[in-house]
Amino acid sequence: MMWSWIPENGSQIWQLTQENIYLGLAPALYGLLLSLPLGILAARWRWFYPPVLTVTNILYAVPSLALFIALIPSLGLTDTNVIVALTVYSLCVILPNVVAGLRSVPEDVRQAATAMGYGPLRRLITVELPLAGPVIIGGLRVGVVSSISLASVGQLIGVSSLGYLFVDGEQRDFPTEIYVGIAGVIALALACDLILVLLRRLMTPWMRERKGPAGKVAAPEGAPELAGSIT
Amino acid sequence: MITFERVTKRYPDGTVAVHALDLDVPAGQTMVLVGPSGCGKTTSLRMINRLIEPTEGRILLDGQDVRKQDQARLRRGIGYVIQQAGLFPHRTVQDNIATVPVLLGTSRSAARARAREMLALVGLDQDLATRYPHQLSGGQQQRVGVARALAADPPVLLMDEPFSAVDPLVRGSLQDELIALQAQLHKTIVLVTHDIEEAIKVGDRIALFHPHGTIAQVGPPEELLGAPADSYVADFVGFDRGIRRLSFVPATGLPLDDGLVLDAATTVEQARTRDQGEQWLLVTADSRPAGWVPVERLAGLPGDMPLSQVPAEGFGHAFIVGSESLRVALDAAVLSPAGVAIGVDGDGRVLGLASFEDLRAAITAASKQELAVLAGGPGQGVGASQDDDVITEPVIGEEPGGQPQAVTGQEDSQPASSAGAAP
Amino acid sequence: MSFFSWAWDWVNQRSNWSGQGAIPQQIVAHLGYSGLPLLIAALIAIPAGVAIGHTGRGSTLVINIANAWRAIPTLGLLVLLVVLLGFSALTWLLPLVALAIPPILVNSYEGVAGVDPGVRDAARGMGMTTWQQVTRVEMPVALPLILVGLRTSAIFVVATATIAADIGLGGLGRFIIDGLSSDQYGQVAGGALLVVLLAVLVLVLFAVLSRLLVPAGLRTRRREG
Repeated sequence: MMWSWIPENGSQIWQLTQENIYLGLAPALYGLLLSLPLGILAARWRWFYPPVLTVTNILYAVPSLALFIALIPSLGLTDTNVIVALTVYSLCVILPNVVAGLRSVPEDVRQAATAMGYGPLRRLITVELPLAGPVIIGGLRVGVVSSISLASVGQLIGVSSLGYLFVDGEQRDFPTEIYVGIAGVIALALACDLILVLLRRLMTPWMRERKGPAGKVAAPEGAPELAGSIT
Repeated sequence: MITFERVTKRYPDGTVAVHALDLDVPAGQTMVLVGPSGCGKTTSLRMINRLIEPTEGRILLDGQDVRKQDQARLRRGIGYVIQQAGLFPHRTVQDNIATVPVLLGTSRSAARARAREMLALVGLDQDLATRYPHQLSGGQQQRVGVARALAADPPVLLMDEPFSAVDPLVRGSLQDELIALQAQLHKTIVLVTHDIEEAIKVGDRIALFHPHGTIAQVGPPEELLGAPADSYVADFVGFDRGIRRLSFVPATGLPLDDGLVLDAATTVEQARTRDQGEQWLLVTADSRPAGWVPVERLAGLPGDMPLSQVPAEGFGHAFIVGSESLRVALDAAVLSPAGVAIGVDGDGRVLGLASFEDLRAAITAASKQELAVLAGGPGQGVGASQDDDVITEPVIGEEPGGQPQAVTGQEDSQPASSAGAAP
Repeated sequence: MSFFSWAWDWVNQRSNWSGQGAIPQQIVAHLGYSGLPLLIAALIAIPAGVAIGHTGRGSTLVINIANAWRAIPTLGLLVLLVVLLGFSALTWLLPLVALAIPPILVNSYEGVAGVDPGVRDAARGMGMTTWQQVTRVEMPVALPLILVGLRTSAIFVVATATIAADIGLGGLGRFIIDGLSSDQYGQVAGGALLVVLLAVLVLVLFAVLSRLLVPAGLRTRRREG
C-alpha cells in the first residue's frame, strides 16, 4: 500500500469523487421524483400497483452492465446513459417504499384530516407524505447507496467515476489505487446514508428512533407484508 | 393437582413479578387467576409449564416438581392456549390441531382423525379442517386453539387471556362453551384473565392478585362477592357485587303466588269479575306469558273483547324456577311494569308470580345462610368452600334492603328455613 | 439500429453457436459461476440468519450488514483480489460468495424474527424442542422471505458474474467485455441480451418455486393490525 500516492493524486481522486457523487445522487433524486407520482397513484388505485410492480421487478433484475449496454444505441457512452440506467434502479427501489409509506398512514388519521376540512391535495402534502416520510427515506437510502456503488461499473463503458481507479489499478497492477477506489466509494455511500438518516430524524421529531432493522436488502418486493422490511 | 410453594420470580433488573406465592389448584376444577396488568398472573401461569422459571420456590404438578421433567416433555402433557391463538399459519386447521399428537408419535392419519373429533368437540364444522387459519374468524381461531390444546387429552389446561382478543358477543359464547366442555371433561384448568366478570362466570375458584405479585384472596366466586377480604378485593370485584352475588343463589325456594293470571281468550267481562284488587293482570297464551295489562285499562273496553286484543305492556323476561338464580328473578321483577317476576318452568309455562317482597325475603334468607356458613356454622353452604385458605373473617355487609347486619359467629346457627331451603 | 436488432442479429448467427467459447458454453459457464456461489452462500447464510432470528442475538450485526453491503463496489472488490492474488478459482468464488451472503442472511433473519410472537410462543409452549420449533414452525413460516432473499441474491450474483468477466472469468460477460475491447457492438449487445434473458429466467424460476413451495396459508397472509 503506497500511501504517498494518495496526496500525489489528490486532485484526480477528488475529481473522480465529484463525478461519482453526481452519478450517484442524480439518479436517486430522479428516481424519487418519478416514484412519488407513480407511488401516489398506486397507493390510491389498488389495481394499478401489481402490474407496475411486475415491471419494476423485471427491470431491477437486469444486470447493470447489460442495461448500460442496452442504452448505448440511444444514449451513447455518456453520463446520461449511466444516469438513466441508475434512475431506473432507484425507481425500482423507491417506488415500493412510497407505496408502503403512504399505505402505512393510519386510516383514522386520514379521515380525521378530511373531516377537518383538508382537501385531498393538501392532505397529501401536509399529512400523508410527512407520515410516509421515514419509509420513503428508507427507500431513498437504498437508492443512493446502490447508485453510488453501481456508478463505478459504468467505468466499463468508459463513463468516468471512482471506478476509474479500479480499471486503471487493474491495468497497472497497482493495489493502492484499487484500495483508494473501494474506500472512496464505501465512504461516500455511507456518508450519504448518514445524511439521509439525519434528515429523517429532523423530519420526524415525533418518532423515537426505533430499534427496527433499517435499509433492507429485500428486492423491491411489492408486498410490504412479505418484505416486512421497508424502513 | 398443581401446587405453588413459595414461588418467587425476580428479574435481573430487580423487578419482582411474583412474590412468595403459595397456591393450590385442585384437580378437575377451573382456577382463574385474575388481577390488574402486571400483577404476576401471567408470569405465574407460565411458570407451570416452565416457559418462565421461578427464581425461588417450586411448583408441583401431580406431586412432582416440574423441574424434574424435561421441558419439552412436560409441555406436551399440558394444554396451552394463548390470547392470539398462535395458530401456525402455514398449516391447515387439522394439522394445527394434530400438532401435539404427532409430536408424541401418533401417525399423521390417526392424529388427523383425532383432530376432526376435536373440531366437533369445540363446535366447529368439519369442512374447516382443510382450511388455513387466516380464513377463519377470530372466534373460530380461538376455538381451534382450544381444540389444539386438548388434542392429546392432557389432564391440565393452561389458558392465558384466551378470550380477550375477540368481541364481547363471541367472548360470551366461548365462555359458555368452555363451561360446557369442562362439565364434560373435568380438566384441571388454570385460566388467566383481567376481566373479573369472566373470572366469576367461568371459575370454580378465583385467585385475585394484588398489583405486585401477591394474592389478595382465593376462593369460590360467591365468596369473593359476598365476603371480600379487604377493600382492594371489594373494589376490584365491583360496586354491585351484592346483586351479582345473587347469581349464585338458586331461585328454588321463592314462593309463587297465583296473582291475576288469565289466558288471552278470556273476555274483558270475565276478567273484571276475577279482579280482586290487583293492579296488574298477566295475560298468557298457551300458558306462556304474553304481556301485562294494567287493570284500569279494562274499564272502558267492551265486555266481550278477548284479552288478546287489549294492548299490553311487555314483560321483559321470566325466570325459570328451579334452575335460574335469584339475580335473574330480581332482574325479571325490575323489568316488569308490574314489579313482579314471572316464574316459569323449563318449557316457558307460567308457574306463578313473585313480588318484590317475596324476593326481598328470599335474598335476606340466602345472605343469612351464607354468612352462617362462612362463620363456621352448620348448614348447607351455598357454594361456600371449606378450605383453610379461605379468609373467613365475617364482613359487616349491607343487605340490599339497606339493613346492616353484623354477624358474630354462631348467631345464626340455624339456617333460616322459611325460604331458601338449600338444594 | 436499436439494441435489440444488434443483439438479435448476433445471437442468430450460426457461427456464434459452435466452437470454443460459443454461446451454449458461456451460458452453462455463467450458470455455474452464478449457481455455485449462490449455493455456498445459501448454505452459510440461511442457517446463520435463522439462528440469529430465533435467538435474537447478533441482530445488530445483521442490521449493519444490511446497510453496508450495497455500498461495496463489486468491480473494485473483484479487481482487488485479482491484482493481489492473481486469477484463480478463489479470486472469483470468494467475492461472489461474500456478496451473495447478505441478502440471504438478512432476509432469513427477518423472516424468522418476523414470525408472529404468538406463534412462536405457542410452538414453545406446546412442547416442541428448539430444533422442532425452528424446522417445523419458524422456517416454514419464514419461507416466503427466505425465497425473496435467495432471489435477490441470485439476481445479484448473475450480475456480478457478468462483471467478473473483466477480471478474466468466463460466462456471458465474456461477450460483453471482449466485444467492448474489440469494438464489436453486436457481440456486446448479444451478450447483454443473453444475460438479461438469464436474469428474467431466474425471476420466473423463483416465482414458480414460490408457488410450489409456499403453502396457501402463507400466501395471502395479512398482518394483524
